[in-house]
Amino acid sequence: MSTLQARLDEFKKALESGALPHNVPNEAIKAMHRATAELKASGMEDAALKVGDRAPSFTLFNQDQVQVTSTDLLREGPLVVSFFRGHW
Amino acid sequence: MMELEALQEVNSQVRALGARIVALTPELERYTRSVHRKLNLSFDILTDLHLETAERFRLVFVLPDYLRAVYKSFGSITLDRFHDESEYRLPMPARYVIDQEGIIRAADVNADYTIRPEPAETVRLLETLRR
Repeated sequence: MSTLQARLDEFKKALESGALPHNVPNEAIKAMHRATAELKASGMEDAALKVGDRAPSFTLFNQDQVQVTSTDLLREGPLVVSFFRGHW
Repeated sequence: MMELEALQEVNSQVRALGARIVALTPELERYTRSVHRKLNLSFDILTDLHLETAERFRLVFVLPDYLRAVYKSFGSITLDRFHDESEYRLPMPARYVIDQEGIIRAADVNADYTIRPEPAETVRLLETLRR
């Protein structure tokens, strides 16, 4: 089984080749690179919460519209929280 | 998406260590439901409506105009519809491990969404929390 990073690298290569099925124009790739570089340079990564910080608690709805509360989950054990942008 | 699949692959190990995974996205439930089904996930995807939780982790950035234009040109990427808001804000991709005291024990935040930590590393950290 390949690592997640290997899979991401493979996907990125395919996307940036401009070939099908993605068929992304070169200008769009350039815009994505520019945005990533600017976000890096902004120092925002360093502003995010870090190891040792207290995590904010949250109560949110899951995919079945059931309310889930982080403090309830933490009572049972540690929590892995993954933030992602979306399905696109 | 690829990260969700990779997390799914380690979810049984995570559960065996007494821990749990949740994935947070600003997308509305109609989208999280379809992703959840499509990937056959055994952990929850939570809708972080209007990025309120991501804000508190200080992960939110605004998509620049020129990139908004690119996504609009693709036609299918309509964040205002996905998120129920017109501002093109997004969370930086991040993975946190929070211990039972509520303290962050691992934080992987990257402005470049094509670079992500390995789920196996997260499992290793959870093993150390157990000891």
